[in-house]
Amino acid sequence: MLGTFARRGFWILLIMYFVLPMLAMARFALQTVPTFMLNSHTLFKGWGFSEFMVAFKDPGVIKSTVLSLELTALTIALTFLMLVPLTTLIEIKAPRLKPVMTGATVLSWLVPPVALVVGVAGTFREVFPGFLSSALNLTYFYALWMLPFTYRALDGQLRLIGARNLYEAAQSVGCTPITFFFKIILPNIKSSLYISASLIVASVLGEFTFASLLLKQTMPVYMWHFQTSETRAGFALALVVMIATALILGLAVARLRKRGINFSATGI
Amino acid sequence: MTKIDYVNVSKKYGQEIALRDFSLNVASGELVSILGPSGCGKTTALRILAGFIAPTSGQVLVDGKDVTPIPAEKRGFGMVFQSYSLFPNMTTSQNIEFALKLRKVDSSARVVKIRELLELTNMAEHADKFPHQLSGGQQQRVALARALATEPPILLLDEPLSALDAKVRDQLRDEIRGLQKRLGITTVFVTHDQQEAMAISDRVAVMQSGVVVQSGSPQDLYRNPKNAFVASFVGTTNRLPAIKNGLHWTILGNAVEGPVDGTRGIAYVRPEDIELVSGGQGVIEQASFLGSFVRVTAKVDGQRIVADLPISRAESLSQGLGVSVVIADRNPLIELES
Repeated sequence: MLGTFARRGFWILLIMYFVLPMLAMARFALQTVPTFMLNSHTLFKGWGFSEFMVAFKDPGVIKSTVLSLELTALTIALTFLMLVPLTTLIEIKAPRLKPVMTGATVLSWLVPPVALVVGVAGTFREVFPGFLSSALNLTYFYALWMLPFTYRALDGQLRLIGARNLYEAAQSVGCTPITFFFKIILPNIKSSLYISASLIVASVLGEFTFASLLLKQTMPVYMWHFQTSETRAGFALALVVMIATALILGLAVARLRKRGINFSATGI
Repeated sequence: MTKIDYVNVSKKYGQEIALRDFSLNVASGELVSILGPSGCGKTTALRILAGFIAPTSGQVLVDGKDVTPIPAEKRGFGMVFQSYSLFPNMTTSQNIEFALKLRKVDSSARVVKIRELLELTNMAEHADKFPHQLSGGQQQRVALARALATEPPILLLDEPLSALDAKVRDQLRDEIRGLQKRLGITTVFVTHDQQEAMAISDRVAVMQSGVVVQSGSPQDLYRNPKNAFVASFVGTTNRLPAIKNGLHWTILGNAVEGPVDGTRGIAYVRPEDIELVSGGQGVIEQASFLGSFVRVTAKVDGQRIVADLPISRAESLSQGLGVSVVIADRNPLIELES
């Protein structure tokens, strides 16, 4: 009884907060019938994909999309290179540091982005003025910003597989730490790497505040400017980004379920 | 064949002492169990031998050579863990093969060795299964096969049966002992289960608060416990008041041998060393049928006594019957009261 009620409630909320706004966005972007003429006869008239063409022909859209994709790839690379060995090391060799690490990773969310950007920008302008000239340096902000999620996903998975016990078992058969990392750890934390990467994709592709404050033309920033001149095409573009992001996350969850892993088991 | 010597090994964690001048010898081909309650330091002793932790002081000698500076991955000892610790991304065969690959065994020799180990551990039909597809007992068999893959000189068993249910535990315990004897491998077995230790070992070392309080054959420990802790921890025992009466000691009216000094003490008497005879001041409270014998609880002179009696003798004893106590052990452990 309660289960049915909860399921219905879930679907109602999903429709209210996700499906309806998306439909409204799609109508505004893709249907040419003026709002005051909308009725049951015109509901399926005037739909077209011309606004997509307007959006995708704009060189700024392409350029900003490429920049956002580059930032996404770099953020994933930086996060994995930095965090996977560190989290593994802490889990195996220094578990007492875990509370410190947990605290440190949420710091980026305790400091508002405005304060973070202003503080970092001010410091670097004095110490290393060239740092903020490249848009790709947003990678550091994004990697830092994603830490609470990526760290928890990795930490949860390492605990789940019993990394510490596996390390001792590997040592007892003559395995070196490097071999252990590549042959045992990486294959067994694939699902959390996958979910971390998906979260980074979803977040970086939609991140506005850091990029806007640092005057970098990433896709969300460009989209915002683009919408002021090409309103409907801008919304069409936003629709594509939203659907793509939802699909990426949906695929990640489906892939985990297929491997028999609960989404919550990854620590998120 | 390999022998092990712990020489005055100590381990401190801050102010806490986990091991205190721990010394133990394991002869070549011997299976020695380190037995003790939680926190007594038994796992610390094993992990020092495995190389996972370094001792604060002392040495661990293997065939006379100090192995304490050698890292765990270079010691070449086989180890089986309580939590199985199989590599989840590898099948049964791959788990065993991983150990062989690390030792650079060539592929044809690997195939032969894997087949041999799978047959030895009765896991041949599960060769292609992943750990999550195996039961606890099967996983532990794979772990054993993996530990034996490289033909290690020493096998370390860290409570390998604790996570298994009773029936599988008994079966696997016998299999481990059978394998150990057949291979003649020097083995150290850590457990908190005295029954397990008694059943599997050539020798048992009982630990308390970081030191070995007594080591010896299971029979020796059981029959001649050195102190109250060993008497209570190894097997069931009755704690009974003992009073010096001239040259002898008296326990519930029974004259026994005891220490020369002292006048009062506590005697530790095994249940099978007690006979209950009809008629007397004591009263039978309960009788539990335990298969090959009956465990009878009686109250005599305000003391609760547990006696294990053969079924034929227990048949005449019913609840509420008056009984007296006859102690068969003429030389029980008596600890003087301070």
